[in-house]
Amino acid sequence: MANTETSLKEAVTIEGAIGAALVDYTSGMALGTIGGGKELDLNMAAAGNTDVVRAKVRTMEMLGLQEDIEDILITLGSQYHLIRLLKGRGANGLFLYLALDKNRANLAMARHQLKKIEADLEV
Amino acid sequence: MSRAAVSPMLVRLAAEKATGALLRDHGTLYLVDGRVVHAESPAAPGVDVLLTTGGRLPREGWDEAVDRAGAHRAVGRFLVDSGRLHDGELEICHLGAVFDAAFFALSPTSGPTRFRYGVGHWFGTVRPVSAEAVERETVRRRELLDAVWPYAAVDTAPVVPRPASPGQTVGARQRVLLAAADGERTPAELARLLGRPAFHTLLDVRRLAAAGLVETPLAPEPAPPPQAFLPALPVADPDIALLRRLRDALEAHL
Repeated sequence: MANTETSLKEAVTIEGAIGAALVDYTSGMALGTIGGGKELDLNMAAAGNTDVVRAKVRTMEMLGLQEDIEDILITLGSQYHLIRLLKGRGANGLFLYLALDKNRANLAMARHQLKKIEADLEV
Repeated sequence: MSRAAVSPMLVRLAAEKATGALLRDHGTLYLVDGRVVHAESPAAPGVDVLLTTGGRLPREGWDEAVDRAGAHRAVGRFLVDSGRLHDGELEICHLGAVFDAAFFALSPTSGPTRFRYGVGHWFGTVRPVSAEAVERETVRRRELLDAVWPYAAVDTAPVVPRPASPGQTVGARQRVLLAAADGERTPAELARLLGRPAFHTLLDVRRLAAAGLVETPLAPEPAPPPQAFLPALPVADPDIALLRRLRDALEAHL
C-alpha cells in the first residue's frame, strides 16, 4: 500500500526517469509531481496531457470500443512520455505521467515498473 | 506572468506560519503552520459525499469514523487504520476535496475575511499543501473555465440540456450529468447528487455549453448608468458647458 508521494518517488527511480506526476484528468490538476527540473514543467505537462487522455477516451467511446486504456506512449526525439491510466475502485479519472530520457531508458522495463507502481497505489 | 494574490491575507498567514481557520464568504480554509490542511465550502461536496455517494464507503462507516475519531481530529487516519480506505485513496480523495472547496472559498468576494487562530478541523491532517500551490491552482482553474466557455452565468443557473446535433456524441461522464439535469438542478446540486467535485461539474457544464448541449443563460442586463450626483445647472460660460458635456461623455464610457 502506497501513498502518492511514495509512488512518485518510486516512479523516478525507474531507469532514465526525468520526472513524474499524478494527474486528475478531469480538472488537469497535478495531485503530486516529482523531478522535471527546469526543462520540464510538470504542472504544465499535467494540464496539457489531460487533453490527450480526454481525446483518446472520447475516441474510444465514439468507436464503441468497450476497453480500458492501459497506457499511452508518446515518443519524442530524445524522450519518452508514458501515460498510465489508473483504474482502481476509487480512481475517478487519474493518470500517472512519466517522462524518460530515451537514451537511458528501457521502455519495456519502464512500462512494467509503472504498471506495478499503479497497482501498489491501489486507488 | 505576475498575478495579483487571490487572497493577500492567505499570503500573509502562510508567511507567518499561522495555524487556524480562514473564514471567507464562500468557505473556510484550515491552516497548520501556514500550510493548507483542509477546506470547506457550501458550494462543494465534502469528503463524506465524495466517498459515500459513489458507494466507496457505506454511510455508517463514515459516521462511525466521525464518532470515534472526530473528537481527536483524526477521522482520515481512522478510515485508513480501520481498513476502510487505502492510504493513497484517502489522500487523493481528500486533496481533491480540499482544492475543490478552496476554489470556491477563494472566489472573489466583497465580504469580510476573518482568521481564527488555533482553530483546527476534525477531519485531521492528511497531506498539507502550500498556500501558494492552492492559490496557483485556484487561478489556473478560473482561467481554464473561461478558456473553455467564457460565460460564468452557466455556473450558477439551473442546467438545461439541449438536443444534440446529428452525429454529436457525449462522453460517458457527461452523459450521466445530462441525464441528472432536470432543468432545475444547478451545477452545485448536480455535483452533490452525483458525488463529484463541484469544480469538475462546472467544467463539464461549461464544456457542454460550449458544445451547445446545455443552454447558456443570457447575461443579466447591464446596470443603467448611474445618474450624475449633481444636477447640471445652466451655465452662462459656453466653455464650462462644453467641458461638462465632455466630462459626462467620458464618464459614460467608463
